[in-house]
Amino acid sequence: MSNIRLNNIAKRFGQTEVLKGVDLDIEDKEFVTLVGPSGCGKSTLLRILAGLEQPDEGQVLIDGKNVTTTRAADRNLSMVFQSYALYPHLTIRQNMMTPLKLRDLSTSQRLPFIGPFFARKEYKDLLSQVDRTANILKITELLDRKPGQLSGGQRQRAALGRAMVRNPLAFLMDEPLSNLDAALRVHMRAELTQLHQRLGATFVYVTHDQAEALTMSDRMAVMMHGKILQYGSPEDIYQNPATAEVAKFIGSPAINILSATVNDYAQICIDNLVLDLFAPTQEPKISIGARPEHLSFSDKTPSSISGFVHHIENLGADLFYHLKIKDEERPVVIRSAVGNGKRHQIDDLVHFELDLNSTLAFASDGTRLQTHRRLMDEIAS
Amino acid sequence: MTPSRAHIWFVSPALLLMFLILLLPILVAFGISFTSFSLGNSGAEFVGFKNYEQIFTRSTYEKMFGATFRYVLTVVPLTVGLGLGAALLIHSLTRFGDLYKTIYFLPVMSALIAMAIVWEFAFHPTIGIINSTLERGCGTFLEGWNWYANGCEKTFPLWLTNRDYAIWTVSFIGVWQGFGFNMVLYLAGLTGIPRELYAAAEMDGAKSGWERFKLITWPMLGPTTVFVVTISFIRSFQVFDMVEAFYPQGGGPSKSVYVMMFAIYEKGIQQNLMGVGAAITVVFLLFVMFLTILQRWLVERRTHYV
Repeated sequence: MSNIRLNNIAKRFGQTEVLKGVDLDIEDKEFVTLVGPSGCGKSTLLRILAGLEQPDEGQVLIDGKNVTTTRAADRNLSMVFQSYALYPHLTIRQNMMTPLKLRDLSTSQRLPFIGPFFARKEYKDLLSQVDRTANILKITELLDRKPGQLSGGQRQRAALGRAMVRNPLAFLMDEPLSNLDAALRVHMRAELTQLHQRLGATFVYVTHDQAEALTMSDRMAVMMHGKILQYGSPEDIYQNPATAEVAKFIGSPAINILSATVNDYAQICIDNLVLDLFAPTQEPKISIGARPEHLSFSDKTPSSISGFVHHIENLGADLFYHLKIKDEERPVVIRSAVGNGKRHQIDDLVHFELDLNSTLAFASDGTRLQTHRRLMDEIAS
Repeated sequence: MTPSRAHIWFVSPALLLMFLILLLPILVAFGISFTSFSLGNSGAEFVGFKNYEQIFTRSTYEKMFGATFRYVLTVVPLTVGLGLGAALLIHSLTRFGDLYKTIYFLPVMSALIAMAIVWEFAFHPTIGIINSTLERGCGTFLEGWNWYANGCEKTFPLWLTNRDYAIWTVSFIGVWQGFGFNMVLYLAGLTGIPRELYAAAEMDGAKSGWERFKLITWPMLGPTTVFVVTISFIRSFQVFDMVEAFYPQGGGPSKSVYVMMFAIYEKGIQQNLMGVGAAITVVFLLFVMFLTILQRWLVERRTHYV
């Protein structure tokens, strides 16, 4: 049982404000991901939660207990580091024994040679604990090797083993998959999710890879510029981003952002095209966002937008067309399943339509605008 | 196709030079050590192991070994220990680290022969700063210490010319001069330890500094320590200029500071007994070679973390 609360955490390194008043609630047994571009303060937040870093302001509460001034060693959390941070001079077995020895044995029992002799039973217990964890992670045959003799994936497992071997209140992971190759990363994603279900423990996971966050977490917190912009389930964040920044960061390829205007009837217009979509705002200039899967090729109609094919990305099952359209600097990306209609060639003139139910509107400062298919007073009347 | 011989031409200059200026002198010294050769004499007699027999039987050489090992066994642990201590302290500083580094490194950069003259003044029995400072403490609580009371009653020791103190005084200067060098090596070793390891140790529950040192710092400094210890041994075996500056004649009170390097110099150069000088040189080389092999062996065996 361990829910974690972060209250108004602020942290400065010299003049740079890394965290500007962050609040975060993590429920027991939840898999929470902190995701954001590098330098957004997500690792610092995790280190503050771990106790490796002191916040300048705010509190860390674990199970309702204020642990802000408690040192990391006394918080009973365990952490997997990006570099794995295995002790290079110890075998994997000794690496995994270290947290057990430091926590469960007295100083005299830890003495070299004499300790194991007088505390034979305790050592046996700890060794069987190590064996059990190694079994779960399938690293039994690696136990007598040193970290330097292992591959990246094996080291990652060993680091996981060292974190798992005792029963911590929560697991903290700082980009644990970023040093692995792409295939292994995808494999480990599934394995970590299964491990989370099996252990039934709280996981706090830091990553800059939005795909990891979307696939693994129960809830994810999108961080930028030292703040959490949005905190919610992956579906919610993907479909309902709170700001343009969140919308752009989550999803690959990125969401298409088009500049638009709002006319006197609160209708959204792109260039001369008036959309059947209303945004209640006084601002004339806004932007709209549409994900590649929410655009579709069409014939030339009054509601279609036209552009030239600029680049084609073939991903096997899907094709991503990059279109150059008038007055837009960035190309618009459209997803189209292979074998779905005619295949366009580079420099073709094509037309496409927006799925208005999924189109998002953002004010010029990036905040989300609610859109309606009909005007407010029409709804009222 | 005839195999090309070009490689011989590429390698031979280096091989030739290495043989001429590194290996040949050792072989010559080895040869001379079995003769009674002295410079200026046209011929030399082959004397077999007589020179070596002298080294291991005569009391002068017994004193030589005594002085050398006393010096080495004092200076090596102290310079290594102090070097490590200073490096750990400096490494923990957030400011002024560079300043301390420079200060501790100053004695290493200075010429030991010049420093020896300064220390000679400092240790002078009547005008030296050491003994006159000690005299100021007379009449205070310090007299509770027997040794101090004795000093006040009679005189404080003649540090450099008393048979019982001379080797330790010289060792002290050796430590003063040498530990900065080890400190720099250890500092380099410390910067090579990933900081994440300490974070991992903290998460694993290593609460005291001693536990962190035991778990990470000391093992991670293993390769540095092997190197530092070896180089300290070799450097202290080589001590010469200080002894020559303090005691140009004879190697100190009752030969108590008669270290090997000085013995080679005295026998071979001052007394022109090249045979004996060469024999001591060979013994010296054996010591150094033994240490180097030991170092290689340790590096290969224990401190490789691959």
